Amino acid sequence: MMGRTIFIDPGRCIGCQACVSACRECDSHRGKSMIHLDYPDEGHSVASLPTVCMHCEDPVAPCAEVCPADAILVTADGVVQQADTTRCIGCANCVNACPFGVPKIDLQAKLQMKCNLCYDRTAYGLAPMCATVCPTGALFYGTLDELRAERPGVQVADSFTFGTTTVSTGVAMVVPADKVRWPVPGGLPVVEINGRDVR
Amino acid sequence: MTEPPQTAEPSPPSGAAPAPGPAPGVTADGGPSPQAPAAVRRRAVLAGTAVSVLLILAIVFGSRLLRDFDSALLPYAVATVFLAFGVAYRYTVWISAPGARRLFRQGWRSFFSAANFRRAPTALPRMIATYLGFQKFLGARSHARWAAHQLLFWGCLLAAAITFPLTWGWFTFTSATGSGPGYEMRIWGFEIIGFDALGFLGWLMFHGLDIAAVLVIAGAAYFLWRRMKDRGAITGQRFAYDLVPLIALVVISVTGLLLTFSSIFLHGGGYQFLAVLHMVSVVFTLIYIPFGKFFHIVQRPAAVGMQLFKYTSRRTGEGEGEVLVCRRCHEPIDTAPYVANLRGTMRDLDLGFDEWAEYCPRCKRVLRGAAYLDHVKKGFK
Repeated sequence: MMGRTIFIDPGRCIGCQACVSACRECDSHRGKSMIHLDYPDEGHSVASLPTVCMHCEDPVAPCAEVCPADAILVTADGVVQQADTTRCIGCANCVNACPFGVPKIDLQAKLQMKCNLCYDRTAYGLAPMCATVCPTGALFYGTLDELRAERPGVQVADSFTFGTTTVSTGVAMVVPADKVRWPVPGGLPVVEINGRDVR
Repeated sequence: MTEPPQTAEPSPPSGAAPAPGPAPGVTADGGPSPQAPAAVRRRAVLAGTAVSVLLILAIVFGSRLLRDFDSALLPYAVATVFLAFGVAYRYTVWISAPGARRLFRQGWRSFFSAANFRRAPTALPRMIATYLGFQKFLGARSHARWAAHQLLFWGCLLAAAITFPLTWGWFTFTSATGSGPGYEMRIWGFEIIGFDALGFLGWLMFHGLDIAAVLVIAGAAYFLWRRMKDRGAITGQRFAYDLVPLIALVVISVTGLLLTFSSIFLHGGGYQFLAVLHMVSVVFTLIYIPFGKFFHIVQRPAAVGMQLFKYTSRRTGEGEGEVLVCRRCHEPIDTAPYVANLRGTMRDLDLGFDEWAEYCPRCKRVLRGAAYLDHVKKGFK
Protein backbone atom coordinates (compact mmCIF):
# COMPACT_ATOMS: atom_id res chain seq x y z
CA MET A 1 0.00 0.00 0.00
CA MET A 2 1.22 3.45 -0.78
CA GLY A 3 2.03 5.89 1.99
CA ARG A 4 -0.72 8.31 1.05
CA THR A 5 -3.54 6.77 -0.84
CA ILE A 6 -7.30 6.71 -1.31
CA PHE A 7 -9.43 4.70 1.14
CA ILE A 8 -12.86 3.78 -0.22
CA ASP A 9 -15.74 3.15 2.15
CA PRO A 10 -18.81 2.14 0.11
CA GLY A 11 -20.84 2.14 3.35
CA ARG A 12 -20.53 5.92 3.49
CA CYS A 13 -21.30 6.54 -0.21
CA ILE A 14 -24.67 8.21 -0.81
CA GLY A 15 -24.36 8.16 -4.61
CA CYS A 16 -24.44 11.95 -4.90
CA GLN A 17 -22.08 12.00 -7.92
CA ALA A 18 -20.04 14.90 -6.51
CA CYS A 19 -16.89 12.84 -7.16
CA VAL A 20 -17.98 12.23 -10.75
CA SER A 21 -18.37 15.95 -11.35
CA ALA A 22 -15.15 16.89 -9.56
CA CYS A 23 -13.16 14.29 -11.48
CA ARG A 24 -13.94 16.15 -14.70
CA GLU A 25 -11.97 19.09 -13.36
CA CYS A 26 -8.72 17.13 -13.14
CA ASP A 27 -6.16 18.76 -15.41
CA SER A 28 -4.87 15.53 -16.89
CA HIS A 29 -8.25 14.59 -18.41
CA ARG A 30 -10.18 17.82 -18.44
CA GLY A 31 -13.88 17.50 -19.18
CA LYS A 32 -13.96 13.73 -18.81
CA SER A 33 -14.74 11.96 -15.58
CA MET A 34 -12.66 8.89 -14.83
CA ILE A 35 -14.31 7.80 -11.59
CA HIS A 36 -17.13 5.25 -11.79
CA LEU A 37 -20.17 5.27 -9.57
CA ASP A 38 -22.23 2.10 -9.77
CA TYR A 39 -25.33 0.81 -8.07
CA PRO A 40 -24.75 -2.89 -7.38
CA ASP A 41 -28.31 -3.68 -6.37
CA GLU A 42 -30.24 -1.11 -8.34
CA GLY A 43 -33.97 -1.09 -7.71
CA HIS A 44 -33.64 -2.88 -4.40
CA SER A 45 -31.06 -0.91 -2.49
CA VAL A 46 -29.60 2.57 -2.52
CA ALA A 47 -26.13 1.07 -2.13
CA SER A 48 -23.58 2.71 -4.43
CA LEU A 49 -19.95 1.94 -5.11
CA PRO A 50 -17.38 4.50 -6.24
CA THR A 51 -14.50 2.98 -8.21
CA VAL A 52 -11.18 4.71 -8.76
CA CYS A 53 -8.08 3.03 -10.18
CA MET A 54 -6.85 0.63 -7.52
CA HIS A 55 -3.20 0.99 -8.65
CA CYS A 56 -2.51 -2.76 -8.53
CA GLU A 57 0.81 -3.67 -6.95
CA ASP A 58 0.91 -7.46 -7.23
CA PRO A 59 0.53 -8.48 -9.96
CA VAL A 60 1.74 -5.03 -10.83
CA ALA A 61 -0.77 -3.21 -13.04
CA PRO A 62 -2.39 -5.95 -15.19
CA CYS A 63 -3.45 -3.14 -17.56
CA ALA A 64 0.20 -2.25 -18.17
CA GLU A 65 1.18 -5.91 -18.50
CA VAL A 66 -1.31 -6.65 -21.29
CA CYS A 67 -0.59 -3.38 -23.11
CA PRO A 68 0.98 -4.26 -26.48
CA ALA A 69 2.45 -0.77 -26.90
CA ASP A 70 4.17 -0.28 -23.51
CA ALA A 71 1.92 2.73 -23.14
CA ILE A 72 1.07 2.50 -19.45
CA LEU A 73 3.74 3.78 -17.12
CA VAL A 74 3.98 2.85 -13.46
CA THR A 75 5.85 5.62 -11.70
CA ALA A 76 8.28 4.87 -8.90
CA ASP A 77 5.70 5.96 -6.33
CA GLY A 78 3.38 3.14 -7.44
CA VAL A 79 0.92 5.27 -9.40
CA VAL A 80 -0.33 3.57 -12.56
CA GLN A 81 -0.54 6.42 -15.04
CA GLN A 82 -2.99 6.74 -17.88
CA ALA A 83 -1.81 5.71 -21.32
CA ASP A 84 0.99 7.67 -22.96
CA THR A 85 -0.76 9.55 -25.76
CA THR A 86 2.05 8.96 -28.23
CA ARG A 87 2.01 5.20 -27.73
CA CYS A 88 -1.57 4.12 -27.03
CA ILE A 89 -3.02 2.39 -30.09
CA GLY A 90 -6.52 2.13 -28.66
CA CYS A 91 -6.68 -1.68 -28.65
CA ALA A 92 -8.70 -1.82 -25.40
CA ASN A 93 -6.62 -4.66 -23.95
CA CYS A 94 -6.32 -2.73 -20.68
CA VAL A 95 -10.03 -1.95 -20.60
CA ASN A 96 -10.99 -5.61 -20.77
CA ALA A 97 -8.13 -7.01 -18.68
CA CYS A 98 -8.50 -4.70 -15.67
CA PRO A 99 -10.08 -6.82 -12.92
CA PHE A 100 -11.74 -3.75 -11.40
CA GLY A 101 -13.22 -2.42 -14.67
CA VAL A 102 -11.45 0.93 -14.42
CA PRO A 103 -9.92 2.14 -17.74
CA LYS A 104 -12.07 3.94 -20.29
CA ILE A 105 -11.37 4.21 -23.99
CA ASP A 106 -12.10 6.82 -26.63
CA LEU A 107 -12.37 4.78 -29.81
CA GLN A 108 -12.31 7.85 -32.08
CA ALA A 109 -9.17 9.23 -30.45
CA LYS A 110 -7.66 5.74 -30.11
CA LEU A 111 -6.79 6.57 -26.56
CA GLN A 112 -7.21 4.95 -23.18
CA MET A 113 -7.85 7.16 -20.18
CA LYS A 114 -8.06 6.25 -16.54
CA CYS A 115 -7.83 7.57 -13.01
CA ASN A 116 -4.23 8.53 -12.31
CA LEU A 117 -4.84 9.47 -8.67
CA CYS A 118 -5.02 13.11 -9.86
CA TYR A 119 -1.28 13.10 -10.44
CA ASP A 120 -1.34 16.81 -11.21
CA ARG A 121 -2.52 17.33 -7.62
CA THR A 122 -1.12 14.43 -5.58
CA ALA A 123 2.37 15.05 -6.99
CA TYR A 124 2.20 18.39 -5.17
CA GLY A 125 0.70 17.08 -1.93
CA LEU A 126 -2.94 17.94 -2.72
CA ALA A 127 -5.76 15.41 -2.35
CA PRO A 128 -7.39 14.04 -5.52
CA MET A 129 -10.50 15.85 -6.73
CA CYS A 130 -12.90 13.06 -5.74
CA ALA A 131 -11.65 12.80 -2.15
CA THR A 132 -11.63 16.60 -1.86
CA VAL A 133 -15.33 16.96 -2.64
CA CYS A 134 -16.77 13.74 -1.15
CA PRO A 135 -19.27 15.00 1.47
CA THR A 136 -19.43 11.77 3.47
CA GLY A 137 -15.84 10.57 3.54
CA ALA A 138 -16.59 7.57 1.32
CA LEU A 139 -13.41 8.61 -0.50
CA PHE A 140 -10.65 9.55 1.91
CA TYR A 141 -7.13 10.56 0.90
CA GLY A 142 -4.26 10.31 3.34
CA THR A 143 -2.26 7.77 5.30
CA LEU A 144 -3.78 4.94 7.32
CA ASP A 145 -2.80 6.79 10.48
CA GLU A 146 -4.64 9.89 9.33
CA LEU A 147 -7.70 7.77 8.53
CA ARG A 148 -7.56 6.15 11.97
CA ALA A 149 -7.18 9.50 13.67
CA GLU A 150 -10.56 10.42 12.20
CA ARG A 151 -12.14 6.98 12.48
CA PRO A 152 -10.65 5.11 15.44
CA GLY A 153 -10.26 1.37 14.99
CA VAL A 154 -11.18 1.38 11.30
CA GLN A 155 -9.94 -1.63 9.35
CA VAL A 156 -8.91 -1.61 5.72
CA ALA A 157 -8.10 -4.25 3.14
CA ASP A 158 -5.90 -3.97 0.09
CA SER A 159 -6.19 -7.42 -1.48
CA PHE A 160 -8.96 -8.76 -3.62
CA THR A 161 -9.64 -12.23 -5.01
CA PHE A 162 -10.65 -12.93 -8.56
CA GLY A 163 -11.10 -16.68 -8.84
CA THR A 164 -7.85 -18.19 -7.67
CA THR A 165 -5.86 -14.99 -8.10
CA THR A 166 -5.30 -12.43 -5.39
CA VAL A 167 -4.57 -8.87 -6.45
CA SER A 168 -2.87 -6.50 -4.00
CA THR A 169 -3.58 -2.86 -4.60
CA GLY A 170 -2.24 0.55 -3.74
CA VAL A 171 -5.73 1.88 -3.01
CA ALA A 172 -7.56 0.27 -0.06
CA MET A 173 -11.14 -0.37 0.98
CA VAL A 174 -12.68 -0.04 4.41
CA VAL A 175 -13.97 -3.35 5.82
CA PRO A 176 -16.04 -3.97 8.95
CA ALA A 177 -13.95 -4.19 12.11
CA ASP A 178 -15.82 -7.22 13.40
CA LYS A 179 -15.25 -9.34 10.34
CA VAL A 180 -11.97 -8.39 8.88
CA ARG A 181 -11.13 -10.87 6.23
CA TRP A 182 -8.53 -10.77 3.55
CA PRO A 183 -8.72 -10.85 0.73
CA VAL A 184 -11.97 -9.14 -0.20
CA PRO A 185 -14.05 -10.99 -2.84
CA GLY A 186 -13.70 -9.29 -6.23
CA GLY A 187 -16.82 -10.75 -7.82
CA LEU A 188 -15.21 -13.68 -9.66
CA PRO A 189 -16.23 -16.50 -9.80
CA VAL A 190 -19.63 -15.15 -10.66
CA VAL A 191 -22.26 -17.08 -8.76
CA GLU A 192 -25.39 -15.25 -9.70
CA ILE A 193 -26.49 -13.01 -12.56
CA ASN A 194 -29.75 -11.09 -12.39
CA GLY A 195 -31.15 -13.48 -9.82
CA ARG A 196 -30.13 -16.57 -11.80
CA ASP A 197 -27.63 -18.99 -10.34
CA VAL A 198 -24.82 -19.42 -12.89
CA ARG A 199 -22.56 -21.74 -10.88
CA MET B 1 2.35 -5.64 0.24
CA THR B 2 2.37 -8.84 -1.69
CA GLU B 3 0.65 -11.26 0.67
CA PRO B 4 -2.74 -10.85 2.31
CA PRO B 5 -2.10 -10.15 5.99
CA GLN B 6 -2.63 -13.15 8.20
CA THR B 7 -3.84 -11.13 11.15
CA ALA B 8 -6.76 -8.80 11.57
CA GLU B 9 -4.39 -5.87 11.59
CA PRO B 10 -3.36 -4.69 8.17
CA SER B 11 0.26 -3.76 7.96
CA PRO B 12 0.58 -0.03 8.34
CA PRO B 13 1.61 1.93 5.31
CA SER B 14 5.32 2.16 5.05
CA GLY B 15 6.56 5.46 6.30
CA ALA B 16 9.52 5.09 4.01
CA ALA B 17 7.30 5.03 0.94
CA PRO B 18 8.43 7.74 -1.41
CA ALA B 19 6.22 10.78 -1.40
CA PRO B 20 4.21 11.12 -4.57
CA GLY B 21 5.98 13.35 -6.98
CA PRO B 22 7.02 13.56 -10.54
CA ALA B 23 9.50 10.78 -9.98
CA PRO B 24 11.17 9.06 -12.88
CA GLY B 25 9.12 6.08 -13.96
CA VAL B 26 10.27 2.54 -13.61
CA THR B 27 9.71 2.13 -17.30
CA ALA B 28 10.02 5.84 -17.81
CA ASP B 29 11.97 5.98 -21.02
CA GLY B 30 9.93 3.17 -22.44
CA GLY B 31 13.20 1.55 -23.29
CA PRO B 32 13.76 -2.17 -23.21
CA SER B 33 13.22 -3.55 -19.77
CA PRO B 34 16.53 -4.34 -18.08
CA GLN B 35 14.91 -7.64 -17.09
CA ALA B 36 14.46 -8.78 -20.70
CA PRO B 37 15.36 -12.48 -20.65
CA ALA B 38 18.79 -13.43 -21.97
CA ALA B 39 17.26 -15.37 -24.88
CA VAL B 40 15.31 -12.29 -25.96
CA ARG B 41 18.40 -10.11 -25.68
CA ARG B 42 20.38 -12.57 -27.80
CA ARG B 43 17.64 -12.61 -30.42
CA ALA B 44 17.54 -8.83 -30.36
CA VAL B 45 21.31 -8.54 -30.85
CA LEU B 46 21.10 -10.99 -33.74
CA ALA B 47 18.25 -9.05 -35.36
CA GLY B 48 20.11 -5.77 -34.85
CA THR B 49 23.30 -7.15 -36.34
CA ALA B 50 21.50 -8.68 -39.32
CA VAL B 51 19.66 -5.45 -40.13
CA SER B 52 22.84 -3.38 -39.75
CA VAL B 53 24.79 -5.70 -42.06
CA LEU B 54 21.97 -5.56 -44.61
CA LEU B 55 22.00 -1.77 -44.48
CA ILE B 56 25.78 -1.64 -44.92
CA LEU B 57 25.48 -3.94 -47.96
CA ALA B 58 22.65 -1.77 -49.32
CA ILE B 59 24.84 1.31 -48.88
CA VAL B 60 27.83 -0.33 -50.58
CA PHE B 61 25.86 -1.68 -53.55
CA GLY B 62 23.41 1.25 -53.75
CA SER B 63 26.28 3.69 -54.04
CA ARG B 64 27.76 1.57 -56.84
CA LEU B 65 30.57 0.15 -54.66
CA LEU B 66 30.97 3.53 -52.91
CA ARG B 67 31.64 5.34 -56.21
CA ASP B 68 28.68 7.67 -55.49
CA PHE B 69 29.25 7.74 -51.73
CA ASP B 70 29.89 11.22 -50.36
CA SER B 71 32.57 10.83 -47.70
CA ALA B 72 31.60 14.21 -46.19
CA LEU B 73 28.36 12.53 -45.12
CA LEU B 74 30.08 9.54 -43.50
CA PRO B 75 29.06 10.39 -39.89
CA TYR B 76 25.41 10.51 -40.96
CA ALA B 77 25.68 7.14 -42.73
CA VAL B 78 27.36 5.58 -39.68
CA ALA B 79 24.59 7.00 -37.45
CA THR B 80 21.93 5.39 -39.67
CA VAL B 81 23.66 2.03 -39.22
CA PHE B 82 23.51 2.51 -35.43
CA LEU B 83 19.90 3.58 -35.84
CA ALA B 84 19.12 0.39 -37.78
CA PHE B 85 20.73 -1.70 -35.03
CA GLY B 86 18.88 0.14 -32.27
CA VAL B 87 15.50 -0.05 -33.95
CA ALA B 88 15.82 -3.75 -34.76
CA TYR B 89 17.05 -4.51 -31.21
CA ARG B 90 14.30 -2.55 -29.52
CA TYR B 91 11.65 -3.85 -31.91
CA THR B 92 12.63 -7.45 -31.17
CA VAL B 93 12.51 -6.88 -27.41
CA TRP B 94 9.18 -5.09 -27.79
CA ILE B 95 7.41 -7.81 -29.79
CA SER B 96 8.76 -10.50 -27.45
CA ALA B 97 6.45 -9.36 -24.64
CA PRO B 98 3.22 -11.40 -24.52
CA GLY B 99 0.77 -8.60 -25.33
CA ALA B 100 2.71 -7.28 -28.30
CA ARG B 101 3.71 -10.76 -29.56
CA ARG B 102 0.14 -12.01 -29.84
CA LEU B 103 -1.16 -8.85 -31.49
CA PHE B 104 1.86 -8.80 -33.82
CA ARG B 105 1.04 -12.34 -34.98
CA GLN B 106 -2.66 -11.61 -35.41
CA GLY B 107 -1.93 -8.38 -37.28
CA TRP B 108 0.39 -10.04 -39.77
CA ARG B 109 -1.96 -13.03 -40.10
CA SER B 110 -4.73 -10.63 -41.14
CA PHE B 111 -2.30 -8.81 -43.41
CA PHE B 112 -1.22 -11.94 -45.29
CA SER B 113 -4.65 -13.56 -45.42
CA ALA B 114 -5.75 -13.85 -49.07
CA ALA B 115 -9.34 -14.37 -47.92
CA ASN B 116 -9.26 -11.09 -45.98
CA PHE B 117 -7.81 -9.30 -48.98
CA ARG B 118 -10.56 -10.62 -51.26
CA ARG B 119 -13.26 -9.62 -48.80
CA ALA B 120 -11.95 -6.13 -48.10
CA PRO B 121 -9.20 -5.15 -50.57
CA THR B 122 -9.34 -1.46 -49.64
CA ALA B 123 -9.27 -1.93 -45.87
CA LEU B 124 -5.49 -1.92 -45.50
CA PRO B 125 -4.66 1.08 -47.72
CA ARG B 126 -7.52 2.99 -46.11
CA MET B 127 -6.23 2.25 -42.61
CA ILE B 128 -2.66 3.14 -43.56
CA ALA B 129 -3.87 6.47 -44.93
CA THR B 130 -6.05 7.30 -41.92
CA TYR B 131 -3.81 6.02 -39.12
CA LEU B 132 -0.32 6.58 -40.46
CA GLY B 133 -0.72 9.33 -43.05
CA PHE B 134 -3.46 11.71 -41.96
CA GLN B 135 -3.66 10.50 -38.36
CA LYS B 136 -7.37 11.18 -38.02
CA PHE B 137 -7.37 9.87 -34.46
CA LEU B 138 -5.25 12.86 -33.41
CA GLY B 139 -7.98 15.17 -34.68
CA ALA B 140 -10.35 13.51 -32.25
CA ARG B 141 -7.95 14.37 -29.43
CA SER B 142 -7.37 18.00 -30.44
CA HIS B 143 -7.47 19.83 -33.76
CA ALA B 144 -4.45 21.97 -32.89
CA ARG B 145 -2.35 18.95 -31.92
CA TRP B 146 -3.42 17.21 -35.12
CA ALA B 147 -2.34 20.19 -37.23
CA ALA B 148 0.99 20.56 -35.43
CA HIS B 149 1.67 16.83 -35.62
CA GLN B 150 0.91 16.83 -39.35
CA LEU B 151 3.49 19.59 -39.83
CA LEU B 152 6.05 17.60 -37.84
CA PHE B 153 5.18 14.36 -39.57
CA TRP B 154 5.32 15.57 -43.16
CA GLY B 155 8.37 17.73 -42.43
CA CYS B 156 10.29 14.81 -40.93
CA LEU B 157 9.13 12.45 -43.68
CA LEU B 158 10.28 14.87 -46.40
CA ALA B 159 13.62 15.39 -44.67
CA ALA B 160 14.16 11.64 -44.23
CA ALA B 161 13.21 10.92 -47.85
CA ILE B 162 15.84 13.41 -49.02
CA THR B 163 18.67 12.87 -46.57
CA PHE B 164 18.75 9.13 -45.99
CA PRO B 165 19.30 8.21 -49.67
CA LEU B 166 21.76 11.10 -50.00
CA THR B 167 23.90 9.96 -47.09
CA TRP B 168 23.81 6.39 -48.38
CA GLY B 169 25.05 7.52 -51.79
CA TRP B 170 21.85 6.37 -53.47
CA PHE B 171 20.94 9.81 -54.86
CA THR B 172 23.41 11.66 -57.01
CA PHE B 173 23.10 14.87 -58.97
CA THR B 174 25.21 15.07 -62.11
CA SER B 175 25.55 17.66 -64.81
CA ALA B 176 26.63 16.94 -68.37
CA THR B 177 27.81 20.52 -68.73
CA GLY B 178 30.03 20.55 -65.68
CA SER B 179 28.67 23.54 -63.78
CA GLY B 180 25.01 23.33 -64.79
CA PRO B 181 22.41 24.71 -64.91
CA GLY B 182 21.16 21.44 -66.42
CA TYR B 183 21.23 18.68 -63.81
CA GLU B 184 20.17 15.04 -63.74
CA MET B 185 19.01 13.33 -60.60
CA ARG B 186 20.09 9.69 -60.42
CA ILE B 187 19.03 6.89 -58.11
CA TRP B 188 21.51 3.99 -57.90
CA GLY B 189 23.15 5.46 -60.95
CA PHE B 190 19.99 5.47 -63.08
CA GLU B 191 18.81 8.81 -64.38
CA ILE B 192 15.37 9.63 -63.00
CA ILE B 193 14.74 13.24 -63.90
CA GLY B 194 16.56 16.10 -65.57
CA PHE B 195 15.95 19.67 -64.42
CA ASP B 196 17.19 23.22 -64.65
CA ALA B 197 18.92 24.16 -61.40
CA LEU B 198 17.77 27.75 -61.82
CA GLY B 199 14.13 26.82 -62.51
CA PHE B 200 11.31 26.27 -60.04
CA LEU B 201 11.80 22.48 -59.90
CA GLY B 202 15.51 23.03 -59.32
CA TRP B 203 14.78 25.46 -56.50
CA LEU B 204 12.41 22.94 -54.92
CA MET B 205 14.98 20.15 -55.29
CA PHE B 206 17.74 22.13 -53.63
CA HIS B 207 15.54 23.67 -50.92
CA GLY B 208 13.52 20.58 -49.96
CA LEU B 209 15.25 20.43 -46.60
CA ASP B 210 14.61 24.12 -45.94
CA ILE B 211 10.90 23.54 -46.56
CA ALA B 212 11.01 20.52 -44.24
CA ALA B 213 12.77 22.61 -41.58
CA VAL B 214 10.07 25.29 -41.67
CA LEU B 215 7.33 22.66 -41.28
CA VAL B 216 9.17 20.99 -38.39
CA ILE B 217 9.92 24.25 -36.57
CA ALA B 218 6.26 25.29 -36.75
CA GLY B 219 5.05 21.93 -35.42
CA ALA B 220 7.73 21.56 -32.74
CA ALA B 221 7.25 25.16 -31.56
CA TYR B 222 3.55 24.47 -30.93
CA PHE B 223 4.33 21.32 -28.97
CA LEU B 224 7.04 23.08 -26.95
CA TRP B 225 4.61 25.85 -26.11
CA ARG B 226 2.02 23.25 -25.11
CA ARG B 227 4.54 21.43 -22.90
CA MET B 228 5.12 24.67 -21.02
CA LYS B 229 1.53 25.92 -20.81
CA ASP B 230 -0.92 22.99 -20.90
CA ARG B 231 -1.43 21.66 -17.39
CA GLY B 232 -2.58 18.30 -18.74
CA ALA B 233 0.62 17.90 -20.77
CA ILE B 234 2.77 19.07 -17.88
CA THR B 235 1.35 16.38 -15.55
CA GLY B 236 4.04 13.72 -15.22
CA GLN B 237 6.11 15.36 -17.95
CA ARG B 238 9.72 14.16 -18.17
CA PHE B 239 12.50 16.24 -19.65
CA ALA B 240 14.38 13.42 -21.41
CA TYR B 241 11.23 11.80 -22.76
CA ASP B 242 8.97 14.74 -23.60
CA LEU B 243 11.16 17.78 -24.17
CA VAL B 244 14.47 16.49 -25.53
CA PRO B 245 12.89 15.17 -28.79
CA LEU B 246 11.26 18.54 -29.49
CA ILE B 247 14.43 20.47 -28.68
CA ALA B 248 16.43 18.10 -30.89
CA LEU B 249 14.07 18.65 -33.83
CA VAL B 250 14.24 22.42 -33.41
CA VAL B 251 18.05 22.40 -33.18
CA ILE B 252 18.35 20.24 -36.30
CA SER B 253 15.96 22.45 -38.25
CA VAL B 254 17.44 25.75 -37.13
CA THR B 255 21.05 24.71 -37.78
CA GLY B 256 19.96 23.32 -41.16
CA LEU B 257 18.30 26.61 -42.10
CA LEU B 258 21.37 28.51 -40.90
CA LEU B 259 23.49 26.49 -43.33
CA THR B 260 21.35 27.82 -46.17
CA PHE B 261 21.49 31.32 -44.65
CA SER B 262 25.27 31.09 -44.45
CA SER B 263 25.68 30.03 -48.06
CA ILE B 264 23.26 32.64 -49.46
CA PHE B 265 23.90 35.67 -47.28
CA LEU B 266 27.27 35.14 -45.61
CA HIS B 267 29.16 33.69 -48.57
CA GLY B 268 29.74 30.56 -46.51
CA GLY B 269 30.74 32.39 -43.33
CA GLY B 270 30.58 30.06 -40.32
CA TYR B 271 29.52 27.20 -42.58
CA GLN B 272 32.07 24.74 -41.18
CA PHE B 273 31.02 25.33 -37.59
CA LEU B 274 27.31 25.18 -38.44
CA ALA B 275 27.83 21.98 -40.42
CA VAL B 276 29.46 20.32 -37.41
CA LEU B 277 26.70 21.56 -35.08
CA HIS B 278 24.04 20.29 -37.48
CA MET B 279 25.79 16.95 -37.86
CA VAL B 280 26.14 16.45 -34.10
CA SER B 281 22.44 17.21 -33.51
CA VAL B 282 21.34 14.86 -36.29
CA VAL B 283 23.62 12.02 -35.17
CA PHE B 284 22.43 12.37 -31.58
CA THR B 285 18.78 12.32 -32.68
CA LEU B 286 19.22 9.30 -34.95
CA ILE B 287 20.81 7.32 -32.15
CA TYR B 288 18.13 8.50 -29.69
CA ILE B 289 15.23 7.35 -31.91
CA PRO B 290 15.00 3.73 -30.73
CA PHE B 291 15.12 4.55 -27.03
CA GLY B 292 12.84 7.51 -26.42
CA LYS B 293 9.64 9.08 -27.56
CA PHE B 294 10.54 8.73 -31.22
CA PHE B 295 10.10 4.98 -30.95
CA HIS B 296 6.38 5.62 -31.43
CA ILE B 297 7.24 6.07 -35.12
CA VAL B 298 8.20 2.39 -35.17
CA GLN B 299 5.34 1.30 -32.91
CA ARG B 300 2.45 3.16 -34.54
CA PRO B 301 1.99 0.70 -37.44
CA ALA B 302 0.88 -1.76 -34.74
CA ALA B 303 -2.33 0.31 -34.64
CA VAL B 304 -2.98 -0.68 -38.25
CA GLY B 305 -2.29 -4.35 -37.50
CA MET B 306 -4.62 -4.23 -34.50
CA GLN B 307 -7.40 -2.49 -36.42
CA LEU B 308 -7.05 -4.85 -39.38
CA PHE B 309 -7.29 -7.83 -37.02
CA LYS B 310 -10.45 -6.47 -35.38
CA TYR B 311 -11.96 -5.32 -38.68
CA THR B 312 -11.44 -8.57 -40.53
CA SER B 313 -12.61 -10.72 -37.62
CA ARG B 314 -15.75 -8.61 -37.39
CA ARG B 315 -16.44 -8.98 -41.10
CA THR B 316 -15.75 -12.71 -41.00
CA GLY B 317 -18.36 -12.97 -38.30
CA GLU B 318 -21.09 -11.09 -40.12
CA GLY B 319 -24.34 -12.71 -39.10
CA GLU B 320 -22.52 -15.31 -37.08
CA GLY B 321 -22.51 -13.52 -33.76
CA GLU B 322 -18.74 -13.05 -33.82
CA VAL B 323 -19.00 -9.98 -31.60
CA LEU B 324 -18.74 -11.22 -28.07
CA VAL B 325 -21.30 -9.78 -25.66
CA CYS B 326 -20.98 -9.36 -21.92
CA ARG B 327 -22.12 -12.52 -20.16
CA ARG B 328 -24.20 -10.47 -17.74
CA CYS B 329 -25.66 -7.45 -19.54
CA HIS B 330 -25.21 -8.62 -23.15
CA GLU B 331 -23.63 -5.35 -24.23
CA PRO B 332 -21.02 -5.93 -26.96
CA ILE B 333 -17.42 -6.16 -25.70
CA ASP B 334 -15.38 -6.78 -28.84
CA THR B 335 -14.91 -9.39 -31.54
CA ALA B 336 -14.65 -12.96 -30.25
CA PRO B 337 -11.17 -13.53 -31.76
CA TYR B 338 -9.95 -10.33 -30.08
CA VAL B 339 -11.25 -11.41 -26.66
CA ALA B 340 -9.75 -14.89 -27.18
CA ASN B 341 -6.44 -13.21 -28.05
CA LEU B 342 -6.60 -11.08 -24.90
CA ARG B 343 -7.42 -14.09 -22.73
CA GLY B 344 -4.39 -15.86 -24.21
CA THR B 345 -2.24 -12.85 -23.35
CA MET B 346 -3.55 -12.85 -19.79
CA ARG B 347 -2.82 -16.56 -19.42
CA ASP B 348 0.71 -15.99 -20.77
CA LEU B 349 1.16 -13.43 -18.03
CA ASP B 350 -0.24 -15.72 -15.31
CA LEU B 351 -3.17 -13.38 -14.77
CA GLY B 352 -5.53 -16.10 -13.58
CA PHE B 353 -8.71 -14.09 -14.05
CA ASP B 354 -8.89 -14.16 -17.86
CA GLU B 355 -12.49 -15.40 -17.67
CA TRP B 356 -13.28 -11.91 -16.36
CA ALA B 357 -12.53 -10.52 -19.86
CA GLU B 358 -15.93 -11.83 -20.96
CA TYR B 359 -17.69 -9.36 -18.69
CA CYS B 360 -17.94 -5.68 -19.55
CA PRO B 361 -16.13 -3.23 -17.22
CA ARG B 362 -19.39 -1.99 -15.69
CA CYS B 363 -20.59 -5.50 -14.86
CA LYS B 364 -17.21 -6.28 -13.27
CA ARG B 365 -17.67 -3.31 -10.98
CA VAL B 366 -21.29 -4.13 -10.21
CA LEU B 367 -20.49 -7.77 -9.47
CA ARG B 368 -17.64 -6.71 -7.20
CA GLY B 369 -19.99 -4.29 -5.45
CA ALA B 370 -22.55 -7.04 -5.07
CA ALA B 371 -19.93 -9.41 -3.62
CA TYR B 372 -18.87 -6.71 -1.15
CA LEU B 373 -22.51 -6.12 -0.28
CA ASP B 374 -23.16 -9.83 0.26
CA HIS B 375 -19.99 -11.00 1.92
CA VAL B 376 -18.12 -8.09 3.45
CA LYS B 377 -20.46 -5.37 4.55
CA LYS B 378 -24.00 -6.64 4.51
CA GLY B 379 -26.16 -3.83 3.23
CA PHE B 380 -23.09 -1.55 3.28
CA LYS B 381 -23.89 -0.90 6.96
